[in-house]
Parts: sequence; structure tokens; C-alpha cells
Amino acid sequence: MALKTKNGLEPIEYAELAEHFVPDAQKVLSESSYDTTLGLNMARDARKVINGNLQIEDFHKIYSASLLKEFGDQYASVDTTTESTQKKDTGPKWGMVIDLKKCVGCDTCTVSCKSENRTPPGMSYNVVLETFKGDYPNISVVNLPRPCMQCDKPPCVQVCPTRATYKLDNGIVIIDNDRCIGCRYCMVACPYGARSYDFGDGYEQEMIGYNDVTSPEYGVERGERKKGKIPEETVRKCSFCYHRLQRGEEPACVETCIGDARYFGDMNDPNSVVSKLAASPRAFRLKEELGTQPRVVYLR
Amino acid sequence: MMTKASLGKNMPAFQQKKRLRKIEIIWWTCLIICFGIGIYSIISGYFLEGMSSTYLSNIVPWGGWVAFYIYFIGMSAGSFLLSTMIYGFGMEKYEKIGRSALLSAIVCMITAITFIFFDIGRPDHIMNSVIYWNVMSTMSWEIHFYIVYIVLLVTELYFSMRKDLITLAKNNDIKGKIYRFLTFKKQEFTAADAARDKKRLKVMGIIGIPLAIFGVHGGTGSIFAVVKAQPYLNSGLFPLIFILSALVSGTALSIAVYVIKAKVQKQELDVPMVRSLGSMLALFLGIEFIMVWYEFLIGIYGLGHEELGTIKLLTGSKWWWSFWIFQMGLAMFFPLIILFIKKTRKSVNWILAASIMTIIGVVGVRFNMVVPTLIMPKLEGMPVGNYYPNLSEWLTTFGLIAMCLIIYTLGEKVLPIEELDSHESGVNKYE
Repeated sequence: MALKTKNGLEPIEYAELAEHFVPDAQKVLSESSYDTTLGLNMARDARKVINGNLQIEDFHKIYSASLLKEFGDQYASVDTTTESTQKKDTGPKWGMVIDLKKCVGCDTCTVSCKSENRTPPGMSYNVVLETFKGDYPNISVVNLPRPCMQCDKPPCVQVCPTRATYKLDNGIVIIDNDRCIGCRYCMVACPYGARSYDFGDGYEQEMIGYNDVTSPEYGVERGERKKGKIPEETVRKCSFCYHRLQRGEEPACVETCIGDARYFGDMNDPNSVVSKLAASPRAFRLKEELGTQPRVVYLR
Repeated sequence: MMTKASLGKNMPAFQQKKRLRKIEIIWWTCLIICFGIGIYSIISGYFLEGMSSTYLSNIVPWGGWVAFYIYFIGMSAGSFLLSTMIYGFGMEKYEKIGRSALLSAIVCMITAITFIFFDIGRPDHIMNSVIYWNVMSTMSWEIHFYIVYIVLLVTELYFSMRKDLITLAKNNDIKGKIYRFLTFKKQEFTAADAARDKKRLKVMGIIGIPLAIFGVHGGTGSIFAVVKAQPYLNSGLFPLIFILSALVSGTALSIAVYVIKAKVQKQELDVPMVRSLGSMLALFLGIEFIMVWYEFLIGIYGLGHEELGTIKLLTGSKWWWSFWIFQMGLAMFFPLIILFIKKTRKSVNWILAASIMTIIGVVGVRFNMVVPTLIMPKLEGMPVGNYYPNLSEWLTTFGLIAMCLIIYTLGEKVLPIEELDSHESGVNKYE
């Protein structure tokens, strides 16, 4: 046989060799219940892809229709359009997981949020809703921290007449206070009551220096808080502490949570803690039936 | 009633004039005082303190001014659709109130926009809603529709008055000068002009119907109805109820304006027209009742926690009077009863009473559309809201209502709102 030749094998000889070992493709494929010619053609073109004579995207394009026809639901098509592949790589999509079993209702998140964002009286981006369930002695307390849900289908963005509130690629819903007209339609439309209106009040009387600086929300330094100056008389809300994220810090509520009940991270990364926790059977989201697709997941 | 209304004819002319002057002085004094107080409260509240001058909070972000905004939008709708019947579909028996219905539609629209303007936190940003038009937002569409609608109303009023404007432009006084300017010095009004204007009015009236129903009024109802976060508002029937109560309040307004004006000036009333308008009001009230009935029936059967809570707030909380007395009493059953009993539905005074009740009651209807659903907490554990318009809001409201009446009265005085040849006696009162 050819194996015994001294000078090694020529490529043509490999092919001959293979023909002896590999069973007849046509024969094998005809035994299966699926289309024989499709299999043969795909094998031929797959070799072309390996040799670099055919782009993998074109390969998918050529066969996706016939594969769908042949295998139906079992065929998981890969969307290979360049647009969507590019979109996937645009960076993190922030998400938050709150473990209700760990929350003790201490309101640290509320306090730290208030001091971080310097919210005026009557406004709190984050609140902990405390409800009592059952009758004594079978009683339980549910503490439900409620930041902005940063919905993927935000009702507030739908209704804003000026496009002053919109969704960033990283999943955060933000407000452009310089554009907001203060009509408060978004507050009516938010199913979670997560938006507040800045009535222009302040703590200056009880806390000297409160008005000296406005919180640098969205990374915009606005300086002194003054009557009639933005963000007064506009709508404000939790932004997952976007200004902190920009310098690589976690949101204030996550950082200060005493029971480590809050997790923050990239929902795009399947290996992140939040992604894994969000897939837990304990996970649920508030008012899911409304279809808002919140980015804040609770663990019950 | 005819006898009562025509009593004035027996009075000597100078006495009649003196009486009118006296009424006019009282009327203007009241309006200007109200308006002045309103302006004071707008400056001291809205401009100096901002939104914190109101009783609004983060839980109830919309209140009295929004309620009055939709109230006046509704009045405008009703008046306009009534005028459409006249100019668009040629129901000429109502022609006497055509122009005044158009004028009140314009004036109510202006008032409504003023109300919502003062409800906006940053009036300096207002142009953003035109520059950065969000096509997904019903509110953004409304702002655009309002502009088109007012332009259409003004044009329609102009063409409906053009004949009289040209006739009166010959007078040599200030009014004549204004009219000469308005008519572009056109001298004669021929039969061809009349036919063309009639056609124009018809076209505008018919364009106006979809604009008014879908654009302005159904659209304003949709601002509320599309909000899924408020299950009480979120129903397909809501915009229709909004239009129906608009028709109700608009018809009532037209009746009230016509009858009161005629009574004050001691002119002869067209009683058959008033009666027919009264039965139209009853029809609209009836349809509205059917819709409200099904809205509540389906809402209650849905067993939704928030919906049930809102209905409970409406019917059985400390605000019960707003629903039972204003919405169900004044704006539904009392006028319906008046307009169904044979004796009262024929009397102009009773019809006037029914329409005034409706006009007052619809204020409650509008408040019930805005406030109770916001008072209901959105999540369990959130605080229950509380809202009453405070003094500053009321003063501003009455000031703006006075502004509405001032503009209307001025319109009546300056423009030939009453048709020159409308009096059956054939006597032209301008000559």
C-alpha cells in the first residue's frame, strides 16, 4: 500500500487513503430520514469554508432556508446580520438584583441614595416599601426596596412629549433635565412611582451648605442649587448612579447595603453574578404583566 | 316663556339701554376683579414660587389645573361639533348659535391651553415639545393638533362672519376700521362670494370633524387612556367617554350662552331651537350614561386591585360628593330627569337650569378623571395621596375662567357674532 512508500504521502494519496476508511457518504445519508443531497451539498460547502473559499455568513445564508424547511423547530438559526452582531458588543447592560430574603428593611439604601443624589425634601429615588402580611401570630414582613426599574420597554419614554427621557445602550433610562418641560406625564405613566418632580424645595434651613452643590447626575456638574435653575421644576429619577458608574463605582445603594442584599452588574455577561442570580427560580420582577421588562430583578 | 322673554319689548328703548349698561358695568367689574386676583396669584404663586405654590405632590402630580384643562378642551369640542352640524351638515335651524358656538370653541381652547401652560414646570422649555417632537407620545401629538385646530377654528369663524364684516366695514367708526382691515377692504359681497364661503365653511367643518374627534378631543382622552400604569384610565372606552362628556358640556354651554344672552338683552328666544338643543343634550347624556355604565361594570368585574381601589375612592371615600353629587347628580341624573319629564323639558328655564347643572357637574367629571386614580397607591406599601386644590390654585383658576369670559365678551362686542339678518321680525338692529 501507499503507506509503505519511503518519501511520505502526496496529497492525492491522502484522498485515496480516506476513501478507504470513510464510509460512502451517499449511502450513510440515505439511511437517515433527512434529505441526502442537502447533506452532501453542505459537506461540500463546509469544506470550502474551511479552505477559506467561502464566508461562513454566506454559508448560513445559503442553507438557512432549506435547513429550516428540513428540521423545522429543531433548527436554531443564528442571526448573522452584521448589525445585530455589532450591537451585541457595545458594552455592558446594567442590571440589579435585590435579594428580599437578605433585606432587613434598614433603609440604608434610601439614606445613601439621598445623600449621594442630594434629593430635595419629599423626593427619594429609592424607597423601601414595608408591608405586613397575615395576622398575629402568623405574620411576616416584606421589605421591598424600590429603585427605578430601568425598564427595557419604559412607559415613561413612550409618553414624554419632548424625548427628554430616553434609554441608553447600557440599559439605563435617563432624563435630560435641560430638555424636560416639567409636564409630569412620565410620573403618571410610571407603574412603579419611581419618578419625582423637583418642586424646588431644599434642606438649606436645617442643613447649612445643602444648596452649595447640585448632585452631578449623569456626570453633569451643575454647581449651586438655585431657584429656577435646572434641575428644579423638572422630573428626576434614579439613574443607577450613572455618575458613579462612569468612574467605575457601584451605585450608592448597592455599595452601602448592610446585608449585601443588592447585586449590580452586567446582564450581558452570562457569567456575571447578576446574570446567574437573575436566572434563579427565586427571581421575579415587579408588575411583569405590564410588559415593561424591568432590569431590576428581585429574589423572593 | 315666550311672553317672559319678550317682555323687554314693551320697555322704552332708553330704559332698556340704561339697564343693559348697568348689567354690563357689573359684569365687567366682576370679571376684572376676578382676573386681577388671578393674575396676582399667578405671579406670586407660579412665577415666584413655581409648582410648590400648588398642593401637588410626587404622589398626585396632576391636579386642578389639568382637570380644568380637559374641562375646557371638552367644552371647546362640544361647541365646535355643534357648529359643525350647522356649517358642515347644514342643520340650519341652529344657525343662530353657529358663530357663538365657534367663538366659544376658540375661547375655551385658548383657556385650556393657558391652564396647561401654567401646569408645566418649565415654561421656558415649552418650545422643546415642538422642536423635539416625540412621535410616540400622545401629548406631543396633542400640542400639534391644538395649534392646527385653533387655526382652523379662527379661519372658520372668519368665513362665517365675512358677509357681515363686509357690510359693517362701511360704518365710519373704530369697528368699521377693524372690519375694513379684516376684510382686506373688500367692498361687495356677491352671491358668488356667499356660495363660495358656504362651501368653504362646509369643507372646513368636515375637515374639522376628524381633527376634533380623533385629533383634539379623542386625543386628549387618549393622553389619559394610554397610561397602562393607571388601570382605571387604561380602557378603550375612555376616549369615547371623554368625547361624549365633551359633547354634553359643549351643548350645555351653547344653550346657556344663547339663553342667558337673550334674557339679558331681552331679545326674543327661538324656543323650538332651545327645546331641540335640550333634547340633543338629553341624547348625549343618555349615550354617556351607557358608556360610563359599561366602563364601571367591566372595571369591577376585572377585580383589579387598583381599579377596584380607585372606584372605591370615587364612590365611598371622603371625596364621595365629587362622584355622587357632581358627576352622577349634576352632570347626569338631574339634567336627564329634567329633560325627560314632559313639563320641564318644554320650559326654557328648566332647560337652562339643566344645562347650567351640567356645566358645573362636568367639572367634577373632569376632576374624577384626573385625581382619584393618582391617589390610589401604585405599589403596596406606598403612601396614599391626598389632593385638594389650594387657595392659590383656586384663585388662578377663577382668574383664568374670568379671562375666558373676558375674551368671549370682547369677541361678542367687537365681532358680529350675531347674524345681522337673524331676527325673524326682519328688523336689522344695526340699522
